Amino acid sequence: MEVALKKLFVVMPLIFGIGFIAPLIAQTMAAWHWEAPLGLTRVSFGLTVGALWGLYATLRGRWV
Amino acid sequence: MNDINDLMLGGQAVAGEPIEALTREGPAIPLARPDRDLDAHTRKTLAQMEREIGQKYGAHNVRTWPYVAIALICFAVFVATFPLAIMGVIPLWLGCAINSVFVAGGYVVSHEAMHSNLGREGTRQRFWNELTGWIAAVPLILPFSMLKAMHLLHHQYTNDPDKDPDAIHSASNVFMAVIKSWLNRQPGAGGTAARWRRHIGELGTPEAKAALKHTMAIQLVVLSFFFAMAWQGYAIEVALLWWLPRHIGLSYIHAVLSWAPHQPHSGVGRYDSTAIIRHKLGHWGALGIDFHLVHHLHPYIPVHACKAAYREMKPILEARGVDCSAH
Repeated sequence: MEVALKKLFVVMPLIFGIGFIAPLIAQTMAAWHWEAPLGLTRVSFGLTVGALWGLYATLRGRWV
Repeated sequence: MNDINDLMLGGQAVAGEPIEALTREGPAIPLARPDRDLDAHTRKTLAQMEREIGQKYGAHNVRTWPYVAIALICFAVFVATFPLAIMGVIPLWLGCAINSVFVAGGYVVSHEAMHSNLGREGTRQRFWNELTGWIAAVPLILPFSMLKAMHLLHHQYTNDPDKDPDAIHSASNVFMAVIKSWLNRQPGAGGTAARWRRHIGELGTPEAKAALKHTMAIQLVVLSFFFAMAWQGYAIEVALLWWLPRHIGLSYIHAVLSWAPHQPHSGVGRYDSTAIIRHKLGHWGALGIDFHLVHHLHPYIPVHACKAAYREMKPILEARGVDCSAH
């Protein structure tokens, strides 16, 4: 259990990107009446950015 | 290294007993200091006088219940900001500002509990000490047990670049201290989380291992709340009411409460690991950090009483060679 939790925290930036940043991007775009590029929905765009950003943070150990 | 028994009220020497931590030889009073000519008798007398003032303003002699009341009220308001902001009763920016204050202020209140200043072990007040410590730390998304373990290490090894958890905040100026605070929050090997895991491993005590489990548990619970709220359509609300205030509060804690009184993070002795400072934010704006030396000398004095204790201690500290020009 403890080992599983520790592994979960290793990929937590990715989970945070999908679980929080993605809907945050989508809802911020909606609040400011911005449309997503490339014909994507706001949620799809948020998921793409959030997942890629979270993956970057997981691999690099920093968000920027 | 400082004496761990000096860090909590429960570990204080009673009047009349030897005060080893205050009178020991060694680097506490470097030879370059003005008090180099003080003989052992004078130093012991000064230590005794200093301790008597410390006891006078100790948590057992001043009111500490307001810390408990503040923690309970602030926690209730913190929780209430979510429905109030979501229902439009208060604007989001106001909730963000209030909760940022609660994050920083919560640490200060929890800090009193870390030193058992709100209730010693074995007393009826102990429950309130622990409750206050835990609930005041909730906005930080950190457990009281972990904060306490790291803070007591900070007192024990102040400014030791390897052993002091707060040494990670060392920076050349306040702007860099804020930048460093943000960099330390990154998830990689150089961040605070990785360093705390190392400290916990080095401590190796059951309490330390429990603190690590508490940290994982509270972060899982709060992140689950973040995710659930975000996917229910309240991502902006959660970001402005908890995520951003936490980062603002942590920046304040690191730059004002940790960096300012300890910079340049070079002294490791009893009288030079921190200082009496005049902070640009003032006494209240800096939440009493200007008398941080008094806190390190006598952690059983609550933060609100450090100023009065300093006024009485000032001649003694000056005799010790402490720079008291700020106040």
